[in-house]
Amino acid sequence: MPSNPLPLNSCRSGGCTLTGALSVTTSVRDSVSVIHGPAGCAHHNFSLLHATGLDNDHVAALNLISSGMQDMEVIFGGEDALGAAIRSAIRQDVSVVYVLSTCIVETIGDDVAAVCGRDWGVPVVRVPTAGFLGGSFQTGVSNALTAIAGTMPGRVLPKDPHIVNIIGEKNLEYEVEENYREVARLLALLGLTINVRFVHCTGINELAGLGEASLNILRDDEMQPVGDLLYRKYRIPSIPSFPVGLSGSLDFLKVTGDLAGIDPAPAISDEKDRQDSLLDGFSGTAGSMLRFSLTAPDLPANRAISEVIARLDLKVGKDGARVPMPPSPPVGTEGVRRMLHRWRRALNAGM
Amino acid sequence: MPECENPLVPCAMTGAVTCLAGFSGITVVIHGSSGCYYYPASLLHAPLAGTFIVEQDIIFGSEDRLLEVVRDLSGSGMRIAVVTSCVPAILGEDIKAILSSYDVILVDSPGFSGSFEAGYKNALSILAPGIDPGTAGVNIDGVSRLDPFCRGNVIELTRLLSAAGVPVATVLCSDELGKLASCSQYTITTDGDLASGIGTNLGGTLGLDGVRQTFRKIGDAFDGSDVAPVLTEIDSEEERLVRACDKFLRRFDPPRAAIFSGSSYASFAAAALKKYLDAEIVCIGNRGEPAGQADFLSVPASGYSDVRDLIRKHSPDLVIGSSFEKSLRGTAAFTGLTPPLKDRVRLFPEPIAGISGTLSFMEDVINACIDRESGR
Repeated sequence: MPSNPLPLNSCRSGGCTLTGALSVTTSVRDSVSVIHGPAGCAHHNFSLLHATGLDNDHVAALNLISSGMQDMEVIFGGEDALGAAIRSAIRQDVSVVYVLSTCIVETIGDDVAAVCGRDWGVPVVRVPTAGFLGGSFQTGVSNALTAIAGTMPGRVLPKDPHIVNIIGEKNLEYEVEENYREVARLLALLGLTINVRFVHCTGINELAGLGEASLNILRDDEMQPVGDLLYRKYRIPSIPSFPVGLSGSLDFLKVTGDLAGIDPAPAISDEKDRQDSLLDGFSGTAGSMLRFSLTAPDLPANRAISEVIARLDLKVGKDGARVPMPPSPPVGTEGVRRMLHRWRRALNAGM
Repeated sequence: MPECENPLVPCAMTGAVTCLAGFSGITVVIHGSSGCYYYPASLLHAPLAGTFIVEQDIIFGSEDRLLEVVRDLSGSGMRIAVVTSCVPAILGEDIKAILSSYDVILVDSPGFSGSFEAGYKNALSILAPGIDPGTAGVNIDGVSRLDPFCRGNVIELTRLLSAAGVPVATVLCSDELGKLASCSQYTITTDGDLASGIGTNLGGTLGLDGVRQTFRKIGDAFDGSDVAPVLTEIDSEEERLVRACDKFLRRFDPPRAAIFSGSSYASFAAAALKKYLDAEIVCIGNRGEPAGQADFLSVPASGYSDVRDLIRKHSPDLVIGSSFEKSLRGTAAFTGLTPPLKDRVRLFPEPIAGISGTLSFMEDVINACIDRESGR
């Protein structure tokens, strides 16, 4: 997305709560997401989610219904329109209906909770969203995951020590599947398999098994509140983030192995060999000068980048080739490999 | 409006921003939340600004925030246009009075107030284009940055007008703001759904017949013009097109086509398919507002389920539309005509208007149909 040169207060550019929540609820199969607001808000999000699905080589079974508010509903209230939209959703014979609201609805004061609380015959789950009135994009993601978790039975299930859950994937991320596969590959080195992706193209029946895993892998530290909730609910400990960079991947193997009661040494040794081989493949870039800006050197992403620069003996200077920085930290060894291909492309092009 | 499943049409705010962002010399400020900002910004790839209002602005008023943004932008030599989204539109603030110290174009265009086209035309009417009889050339109308063929259309029509010795006057809406006050008295149109009504309309530029008729009128209207090179090119290119289509029909049946677009583009596609491939137009799903008069019957298709139902009902073997239709086409061939076209990298400024536009469209159709028939 284009950046805006305005003197923005950063909290103003946190994105839309509705979009964040929809990135989660639309990834629950056999569900409908009702958006209470003008049709334009639903279109914005449908278009975005559809395009993201195409980018990721699959079009998710998107199922949005807008209550289609117009002038009359804005003036006289839109609860009847919401009720009609929920009825339409239920006619589709789905397992669950998620109801999300927009800024205009919160401003005029529709009682969305009361409408959702009626006896609809199927679960109608209100997800707290209100566009900018509800917080940021990330707040929407957390609210949706929390609302979904809240609908599941709370009893602690027997644990399978060899399965883990993935919590809070960034469903709109361009590399979401590649990042997932990298985490799955690293976990496989430890003999672990993935149980539930909470939530990424996940069915309601799959969600019921969430409590059977021995460990939750959070996408990043912004998912900690959801990790805490799942710990309270199922007594499942969590790893705070996907692995970032080379050392981060080895650390991930160690911490995950230790928590799962598995000796991580063989997996770490294999992964070190893989990383050495990866860096050998890029050894021709040694001594090259590149430029970029690290705004906060203490962040894991920047630590990972600094490590790669040091190990490849790259130079950083204002006359170097401008290399692209990944929008989110490179996940695992494979994330570093893709980042290095982009850097080498920039070095080859001299731009 | 009743509830709508997976709506496919952008809102009036997006329409207004699309119109304004087409003019260099304007800085567009979306007065609304970051969510309202990001969608048009990601679609239009234009340097938009926003107020990014938050909860405190609703409770205590958005005046300070709006003034902060406008003050920072003023003095750059650019006109500032403020477009209001849903929430600011109902707060009851007198935005005109708030901004009275600044030379600002104010467009009240909340998303709930109507369609994309309505918002686009409303914004253009507020810009108040003027005609200057002394301005040479012809205006190009119906150009929208949302249209994937926007750049290609302008390049193609500029090429054809140049071949005819007629300069381009003002491009609505993709030009310098200053040229809006002195439009030519003559206009030709690309997407008729977005026609401004400025000047005498010499005709459309979709389809070879349309280009031919329009350039004949241009020849009549402009002393000193020479449209013969354009008419000659149409004849020779049409001959090539007919040969290619005829060759297709020697092996394959004509396509049964379902078309999903605005009235103007849909009518063009239907007429071209009928004329050159003897296609059966099994349905036209109209994305926008229905045209007053059309050669082909159409039904509204502004939601994903409308499209799905029409495709299921008619089982076309060729679907023309956007990425939405592409994902619902099943085994049918597909050709892109309607925004958004998101699933393919698009770098070349392909037109849909003019001679090259028809050739490009029909080339895509024939190749898509051959690939389908041959199982490629």
